[in-house]
Amino acid sequence: MAENLLEVNNLTTSFKIGGTYFAAVDDVSLTIKPNEVLALVGESGSGKSATAFSIMGLHTKARIEGEVNFLGKDLTKFGPNQFNKIRGGEIAMIFQDPMTALNPLMRIKAQIVETLTIHGKKSKNENEKYAVELLERVGIARAEQVAEAYPHELSGGMRQRVVIAIAIANRPKLLIADEPTTALDVTIQAQILDLIRELQEDLGSGVLLITHDLGVVAEMADRVAVMYAGEIVELAPVREIFKNPKHPYTRSLLTSIPSEEQMGGKLHVIQGVVPALHKLDRTICRFSPRIPWIDASEHEENPELREVEEGHWVRCTCYKNFYLKETNAEDLAELENQELERDAVGGNEDEQ
Amino acid sequence: MSNNILEIKDLKVHYPVRGGFFNTIKDYVKAVDGVSINVPVGTTYGLVGESGSGKTTTGKAVMGLNHVTEGTIMFNGHELTGKGKKVDNHKDIQMIFQDPYSSLNVRKRVFDIITEPLNNYESLTKAERVNRVLELLKIVGLPPSAIYKYPHEFSGGQRQRIGVARAIALRPKLIIADEPVSALDVSVQAQVLNFMQEIQKEMDLTMLFIAHDLGVVRHMCSYLGIMYRGRLVEEGTVDDIFNNPQHLYTKRLVAAIPDIDVDHVEKNLVLRNQLKEEYEQNFADYLDEEGRAFPLQQISDTHRVALPVRS
Repeated sequence: MAENLLEVNNLTTSFKIGGTYFAAVDDVSLTIKPNEVLALVGESGSGKSATAFSIMGLHTKARIEGEVNFLGKDLTKFGPNQFNKIRGGEIAMIFQDPMTALNPLMRIKAQIVETLTIHGKKSKNENEKYAVELLERVGIARAEQVAEAYPHELSGGMRQRVVIAIAIANRPKLLIADEPTTALDVTIQAQILDLIRELQEDLGSGVLLITHDLGVVAEMADRVAVMYAGEIVELAPVREIFKNPKHPYTRSLLTSIPSEEQMGGKLHVIQGVVPALHKLDRTICRFSPRIPWIDASEHEENPELREVEEGHWVRCTCYKNFYLKETNAEDLAELENQELERDAVGGNEDEQ
Repeated sequence: MSNNILEIKDLKVHYPVRGGFFNTIKDYVKAVDGVSINVPVGTTYGLVGESGSGKTTTGKAVMGLNHVTEGTIMFNGHELTGKGKKVDNHKDIQMIFQDPYSSLNVRKRVFDIITEPLNNYESLTKAERVNRVLELLKIVGLPPSAIYKYPHEFSGGQRQRIGVARAIALRPKLIIADEPVSALDVSVQAQVLNFMQEIQKEMDLTMLFIAHDLGVVRHMCSYLGIMYRGRLVEEGTVDDIFNNPQHLYTKRLVAAIPDIDVDHVEKNLVLRNQLKEEYEQNFADYLDEEGRAFPLQQISDTHRVALPVRS
């Protein structure tokens, strides 16, 4: 077994809402080996991006507990200077929106050279040459000209390629890709995913892929961690997740995607909404309010993540006797009514 | 054919590109360049394409939101384009927007948002309006208590349903849904899609469904049109497009959808690479000298493809 590249142990990231801290990432543990793609899946608000940002040390106002071991060093103990040394070097990130990730006032070449000079000691000339090579590497035709262009002159797909070129500039050991293709068209998405896969195999990097698109997960990931309300609820190899999903949330999610079999038919709807951070009951199975037809005795108190089959981890015991149930529209309205009444006092406060 | 509620004939929307000293027109951006679509009553027609392919522009042209350079749009037997257009028709065509966060006025209550179209076309008393809104809220599955709330108090899926309530307030015959679920999570997406299908059945609505997500389109639509640079490259039933795509562009688009079946990943990858190569080598053959797709040719009763004209 290869050494773990990244080991996240009991990571808890809390944000302050009205004076008290609430955990958006709650006791998350995961590992990534070199040459492995771990996908982190979940709805918006499930804490997947917060996890990535915590690993990268980008949450400056949050309270972070637990350990993030990267090559034997605990990143949570790092100060800003230490972080600057490894960010963009050994750990690199691909952001969701290539429109905002690039500096609109800098030429493409200058932006790539910037990361190179911070982390390397080569001369300006060499760096500039290498920048063009990188652009070629990520499949940009006419790399010479593109290097001289400003971001607004490029299409979305091209910009995302540039973002990737910057990310791989220093041959990172760990690549964090936060929804790398969400803003792109399908054909370009396919190209970008191919590119990430190719580079990852080439460099032997570990990849933490954050996405809500299960199709992307099926194509890219080796292992999958499903997050719900800040916790990992299921962690398993990719085949297991799709062929043998266990946790009620994973199963509900998989049946709610339009697929060939249920063409034109009704899609499964998960009742209710992801609870707001400060209204979350943290002692029970967090998914239980959304599957009320499952008896309370099926859930455990303070549910734990357990290895139920080799390499397949599931939280809570409720998966054992879980079955999917369709809710009719009236029940749904009733539930949302209650939801609204409850929210009436607090309103929807956003995460910080 | 009287069966078609919407008939678009050779629609062109060109935007002038100005420049130079006198700000003269230098060129045109041909956003939509000769699109013809027929939509039968009670069906959903899906318009698919990459960003910039002109699908939204086509939708907006039907709504009368942008000017039409050439071509005609017939709705229910009335012409929407050109002089003497009847405002009444616009009451029967409504739109659902992509982003439920920016398409609702944050300073207005749900009541005001939904009654706005009613106020424009119907003179109702306050009590009647309240009743109508309550009725509409019930249809879209929102509780009556929602009526005096503001948009920020709702989740994304709920907001999108408020948008739908506003769109169906005037009992339109045609709804143009511009990427109605692409901003939503899968679980919420399922909810909105289900509900749009229900409403369609109940109200006998016709829909022009604009999307780039082929999975969603396959689920919702009976007919599909694939757009590429302002022109249709292929048109047919969902079965035609997904199981028997003829145009290279369509083939590539269909192959690009990530499949959630892990068993197909390898196979898809091979197919995709194969198509990519073919695309790079041969795609120029599928376009004429000006880089436009060829006119559509009928290859079966329902299936039309812009195959190269053999000369």
